[in-house]
Amino acid sequence: MTAARSQAAAPPPALPPPPLSVRAGAAGLSVCAAGAWPEGPADGEPPQVPGFVVSSFSPLFAAAARRCLERRPEAAPDAVTAVVVVSALGDVASAVHVAAVVDAAGVEGGAGGAQGGGGLSPLMFFQAVPNAVAGHVAAKWGLFGPVVCVGDTAAGVEVAALLVEDGDADEVLLVRVDQATAGAGARDRAEAVLVSGGKAP
Amino acid sequence: MGEVRRGEGEVVVTGVGVLSAFGVGVGALMEAAYAGRSGFAPVRRFGVEGRRVRHAAVHPGSPVLADELPRIIGLACDQAGLSAAQRGRAPLYLAVHGDPDLPRVPAHERAAHGSDGFARTVARRGGLSGAARAYTSACVASSTAVADAAALVAHGRAERIVVAGGYLVDADQFAVFDAGRALARDGRVRPFSAGRGGLLLGDAVVAAVVESAAAARERRAEPLARLAGWGRAGDAHHVCKPRPDGAGLARAIGDALRRARLRPERIGYVNAHGSGSPAGDTAEAAALHRAFGEAAADLPVSSTKSVHGQGLEAGALLELVVTIAALRAGRLPVNAGWLGPDPDCRLGLVLDEPAPTTAAYGLSLTSAFGGANTALLVGTP
Repeated sequence: MTAARSQAAAPPPALPPPPLSVRAGAAGLSVCAAGAWPEGPADGEPPQVPGFVVSSFSPLFAAAARRCLERRPEAAPDAVTAVVVVSALGDVASAVHVAAVVDAAGVEGGAGGAQGGGGLSPLMFFQAVPNAVAGHVAAKWGLFGPVVCVGDTAAGVEVAALLVEDGDADEVLLVRVDQATAGAGARDRAEAVLVSGGKAP
Repeated sequence: MGEVRRGEGEVVVTGVGVLSAFGVGVGALMEAAYAGRSGFAPVRRFGVEGRRVRHAAVHPGSPVLADELPRIIGLACDQAGLSAAQRGRAPLYLAVHGDPDLPRVPAHERAAHGSDGFARTVARRGGLSGAARAYTSACVASSTAVADAAALVAHGRAERIVVAGGYLVDADQFAVFDAGRALARDGRVRPFSAGRGGLLLGDAVVAAVVESAAAARERRAEPLARLAGWGRAGDAHHVCKPRPDGAGLARAIGDALRRARLRPERIGYVNAHGSGSPAGDTAEAAALHRAFGEAAADLPVSSTKSVHGQGLEAGALLELVVTIAALRAGRLPVNAGWLGPDPDCRLGLVLDEPAPTTAAYGLSLTSAFGGANTALLVGTP
């Protein structure tokens, strides 16, 4: 393998990370449904989510979650579903936007005036944290389990397995969001899986 | 939905470290909490011109999160009596909004400023193992980290886990909370009070060593408290508003009681989330009435956010430390800023002066955006 690589004219492209379903399966969780945005070239911008502005983070999350939940087999009526969000950078587009507005207001000597917020939309208040869109999805789909946000996929899978093992939830909607704003080579993408019946590794 | 479960191992806290508006140390924090002396003052750390509100509870100067977290983790490990080798094996669960540098680094560097990488760097600088994870679930981030750590220790899968949280009042979060009209215009936080007008932010850098009671006994460490139970549940209600009937928080409380195998009447103190927001406090009072019935009207409750402010991702851990210190002292901190009764918040608020207690158990409650709720149940050792 090493020899083959060293002989190649150009380094091979980095392998994409294994899908969430593979990671969840390896942790002993059973994958009930999966969805992503985009899933093919026909998927452009994800549909807007009312109340969320500026950033693709929440629309990506909601689109992948919707596809996953629409594909779920019929759940027990009293099943409790947790939401676990995986994102190393959080909503980085919103964070960059807030910083730019705050810095510009500082330069201009407080552009917010008596209205406050330094020119920020009041909507930025809640979308600054990944819980917000998790709450949006939880309310829409009746997901009454815990809401947890972590910075890496391994932690997300472990948290999901522990929630199911200890009875905090019957199943877990696990969603990973990555944004193009993260820098060169990054792209807007979200992946969601609904998992149950796990044993913590 | 079945009953919540837990591993059989007993879980204790053997060391804590704190930085708040009142300085470094639990003593300074509790002194203010007992006196009901709030830390709110006009912010000088960054410009607040043009904001509706100018107050927060901040530590003097411009502390840097990446420096303060390892320092406070070190203090918690010192109190726990951990050797360098024991620290070097301990994972870190870090509750944090993210790497504070992320929004202002050049675009091509952003990928290197993830919350997961920030947690690993803090862990290494704090002398811990590189095994670290970041919790970013807003106000429940640190209580969720404690619950996960406790669950793993109870199952015997970890001997000890260091849980830390850090939030230092910053221009960006101050701006979004101000824009969202969430901050109290009168510069005071008045939990459960008539005329309350919202929250105020506060500095919180906190660490706690969560450890198996057996491991602590073996190395002759004196536990500060037991983590007897924990629960978390969602509202499935709204992006940022709490469910008015408090059902989600009440389920979290019920789960914590079941894990601790305790009846509600054994709880002698509740350190409430009590953000001071009109809707949030009403929903929390409803949750307490659901969980405790009529007894909620006499149950000793205080929200010490009235003194130290809202520490966001680190706030729940700060309040867990306050709850532990109060039970150990047999003295409950006051719910400061109170102006008069709100008929929708009929609770046994600790007002005017600290209340003596012989209670062996207390709850620390937290709610967050997205309808996330947590309850941590603490017992004296």
